[in-house]
Amino acid sequence: MGEPTVDPRRKLAKLPTGSEVEITRPDGRTWHGILVPATEFSAENVVVLKLATGYNVGLAITERDVLTVIERARRPRTSKPSGPVAISPPPPATPWVALLTTGGTIASRVDYQTGGVKPVRDEREILESFPALDAEGPVRVVPVFERFSEDIVPSDWVALAEKIGESFRQGARGVVIAHGTDTMGYTAAALSFMVRDPPGPVVLVGAQRSPDRPSSDGFTNLPAAIHLARTGDLGEVVVVMHDGVSDDRFTIHRGSRVRKMHSSRRDAFESRNAPPLGHIEGKRIQLGSEARRPSGSPIRVDTRLDARAALVTYYPGLSPIRLRRFVRADRGLVLAGTGLGHVSRLHIRALRRLITNGLIVAMTTQCLGGGTDPFVYSTGRELVREGVVYLDDLLPETAYAKMLWALGQADDPARVRALLLEDIAGEFVHRRRLEGGP
Amino acid sequence: MKAGLEVHQQLATRKLFCPCPSELSEEVEGTVRRRLRATGGELRALDPAAAFESALGQSFVYEVVPTSCLVELDEEPPHAINAEALDVALTVALLLHATPIDEILVMRKLVVDGSNTSGFQRTALVAVNGWVEVGGHRVAIDTICLEEDAARKVSETGGEVRYRLDRLGIPLVEVATGPDLTSPEQVREVAQAIGALLRSTQRVRRGIGTIREDLNLSIEGGTRVELKGVQELRLLPKYSREEIARQEMLLRAKEELHRRGAKPPSGGPVDVSDLLRDAGPGPVASSLKKGGVVLAAPLPGFHGLLGRSAEPGPRLGRELADYARSVGVRGILHSDELPSEGVEASHVEAIRHRLSLAPQDAFALVASTDAAQALGALQRVIGRAALAWAGVPPETRDPLPDGTSRYSRPLPGRDRMYPETDVPPVTLSVDHLTALGRRLPERPEETRERIRGQYALSNEVAGVLLREGEADRFEALVRKGHAPALVVRLLTHDLPALAAVPRAEPMSEASETVLDTILTAWEKGQFAKEGVQPMLEGVLVHGRSLVEAASSAGLAPMSRPELEAIVEGVLDRNDALWRARGKAAQSPLMGDVMREVRGRRDGKEVAEVLEKALVRRLEGLGGAR
Repeated sequence: MGEPTVDPRRKLAKLPTGSEVEITRPDGRTWHGILVPATEFSAENVVVLKLATGYNVGLAITERDVLTVIERARRPRTSKPSGPVAISPPPPATPWVALLTTGGTIASRVDYQTGGVKPVRDEREILESFPALDAEGPVRVVPVFERFSEDIVPSDWVALAEKIGESFRQGARGVVIAHGTDTMGYTAAALSFMVRDPPGPVVLVGAQRSPDRPSSDGFTNLPAAIHLARTGDLGEVVVVMHDGVSDDRFTIHRGSRVRKMHSSRRDAFESRNAPPLGHIEGKRIQLGSEARRPSGSPIRVDTRLDARAALVTYYPGLSPIRLRRFVRADRGLVLAGTGLGHVSRLHIRALRRLITNGLIVAMTTQCLGGGTDPFVYSTGRELVREGVVYLDDLLPETAYAKMLWALGQADDPARVRALLLEDIAGEFVHRRRLEGGP
Repeated sequence: MKAGLEVHQQLATRKLFCPCPSELSEEVEGTVRRRLRATGGELRALDPAAAFESALGQSFVYEVVPTSCLVELDEEPPHAINAEALDVALTVALLLHATPIDEILVMRKLVVDGSNTSGFQRTALVAVNGWVEVGGHRVAIDTICLEEDAARKVSETGGEVRYRLDRLGIPLVEVATGPDLTSPEQVREVAQAIGALLRSTQRVRRGIGTIREDLNLSIEGGTRVELKGVQELRLLPKYSREEIARQEMLLRAKEELHRRGAKPPSGGPVDVSDLLRDAGPGPVASSLKKGGVVLAAPLPGFHGLLGRSAEPGPRLGRELADYARSVGVRGILHSDELPSEGVEASHVEAIRHRLSLAPQDAFALVASTDAAQALGALQRVIGRAALAWAGVPPETRDPLPDGTSRYSRPLPGRDRMYPETDVPPVTLSVDHLTALGRRLPERPEETRERIRGQYALSNEVAGVLLREGEADRFEALVRKGHAPALVVRLLTHDLPALAAVPRAEPMSEASETVLDTILTAWEKGQFAKEGVQPMLEGVLVHGRSLVEAASSAGLAPMSRPELEAIVEGVLDRNDALWRARGKAAQSPLMGDVMREVRGRRDGKEVAEVLEKALVRRLEGLGGAR
């Protein structure tokens, strides 16, 4: 029997998800089902029941509904978020791969009770989703942080760089970083500068479709990345993602040249201005001559970053006052200028003053293809004369990551400028070919 | 019997989660290759149907067509649910006296057979608790759902299944009855009634495959079995009867197994290749010659229960073979059918000996060049044999053109459903529902009464037009100025008769324009009613133009002098007949004349011309008698 004297809404609010209930509507119809969480867009008085058929229905509850609790669910265990974990003692002699997780959807599991996505915490959990992942050898899961990629900040790059170094020192053959795709290009670029001469591949990998779908590209991207980390003759930071929209070919991109160029496609990642480093098809890894082999020198991990820098896309109407306000507290500014690297002439005087006061201003192009060149138009010539550093064909995101790294390396603006122009990780292409299109 | 129906009707709106047109296409622009993995549901349990499909490890090829976009390819999230399609579904719900859900939530129904690029079908429960009256009985309508149609399977070879993306995402309204149906004929009547109601919205697609039925059926002591995707409504009674017979056969086998005190098979498959080296021509010999194996599995207690393929009716042996086929082998051989296919009595004895079988035991053989495949096939056979003790296993079955069905996969459970988080829920406002309620289309029974009065049709003819879903086309053609009687004949006689014409390709849909043109030509006397059928066949079955169809059917219009010449010729050749019988000769002569006219002139006109000529000749003899 229900208790019509009690407002069913108040009773429902207290019932844990998973409870079995019966709700009798004013029209006399009785709904029998299991209480599941309402969606973010559900109306306030709506409760969602999972029916025996598997369908969910939303019922707008009023005080005229009668609620009967058939079986109250026990409160689900609330699991505390795990912080950074130290790598446990090195495993047996077989070559192993470290899988660093960051909270991106690829190495996550869906909690259907709450609808939330949680990163995997250990080998057992990852093997549940990827049963054959350790078929070629051990994979050790190292949770580093739990964040959507849009929430990642430069200090997270530091944590990752440290874990990469730690993994290699423990004897890992290669390192894979499961990362959300939105800012994977920024992280890849930053790690390219922070981690030099790795003895094996450092592979960032993501998924454009979450792993709660049978069609997730993660099911093929992650094994490809692990395979590259375990067997690839490569000593640099790369991104591995789908080559096309089919599930059978993957592209290896240099970390400092890659960019997410589509919001949803599996083949969203592109190497800009130059062909990718190679491809993976089945167990076959094909690497071009550009790919850097392990140098044999000891790995260098330099985590000094200075985040006092900004990345600004120039647009018609951007005023010098607004720009100056934006970079007030910064040591560096990366501009994504128009075309060959321009901003309005109105900015020239303001930029001169900023540069004189110590701001390092670097220029890239918002075209995302091709290089900058200050000498073709007078605006460019004036900007370069005022001290703007033209970064050839560096992607704006890569230039921003490099700016943070360079500011972390030196105080002297001249030294920072020199570092910006130095080829650290094969980030400059210089020679751009017709093939591949714009 | 106890049966329920699910009627799936494609809507003539744009697709459910993207703005692509709901049209099939023959133009393939490229292909994409994918794999799918079964994932856990909300309760973290793997659905049996999904696990089964996932275990097959197939790869899928999708054909990209001009009528598909990134959404069908699963390269872009679904857009919000098509509001127009939802309104059609709600209209259907109101016509069925059902109660719409307050907040409609889109679910993902796990389907990893590749027919959905995402690995799930998006579906939403729209309304519940309706009814429809058929033949004086109220049949409960449990649910009305709105879901996306699956991709169209083009081919299946080896480990690769090829689908085309044109059909994927076309909105489907699914109307599910309660398990209230008690006779094969009632199944058809209810399907027809629901079909007529769906068509009354005027927003549904027409033609082969645009309406499909799932039949859920069980008999006393049996289990619910789902026949999925029946396209030919008229076969529903046949499918029902065949399924009843199959379940009865399974229950008899169960009873006999228990009577014999047999125990479910416990041993695994055994390699018997060495015993069959000298087998005669057949699948066994050909597999062994190619370096393959023959494995045998004991089926304790099954002797005589599996049946011989020469016997009519359902056979347990075929059920076992269907399970084996689901892993890719061609079939099985079992002891009730042996010796045959090159396996001699001596081989049977040797196998029985090796398996240590008692007289009441049977065995099954699988020959394959792939030992792992043969093993998998026999494991499925053993698994299916064990289910015989329970009688009827719950299954999804594929309907076959002969009215029987074939095992396709285990019946899915509720674990295959989880929320589609990419699509926001839709809250139905009372105002919107009220507005839809005011705009309800004419109900089928109202249409029947109206057209009966308006066009002076008999009760029966009006009923047939409604049942066959032709009422709207009837009205459209009559509005174009065609005589109601001719239109009725065309729609209820000539068009349905085409279904019996043998053809390789599916028949193209009879467009209103084609029907209009044929009717016009008929009314102009370019051919007689006898010519309508060959014209339709020429255009719709053989894909000819109207002119080509007319000339190949010998229906080029015939002039009055031509007709008169034929009549005179017939009279000349039958001189003795009309001289002897006078005017009474007209009816035997009429047959000869019609054979030559072949429908190029109306029969009535031919009779007139013949009569006139005959009278003239008789008068020439000195007066009619």
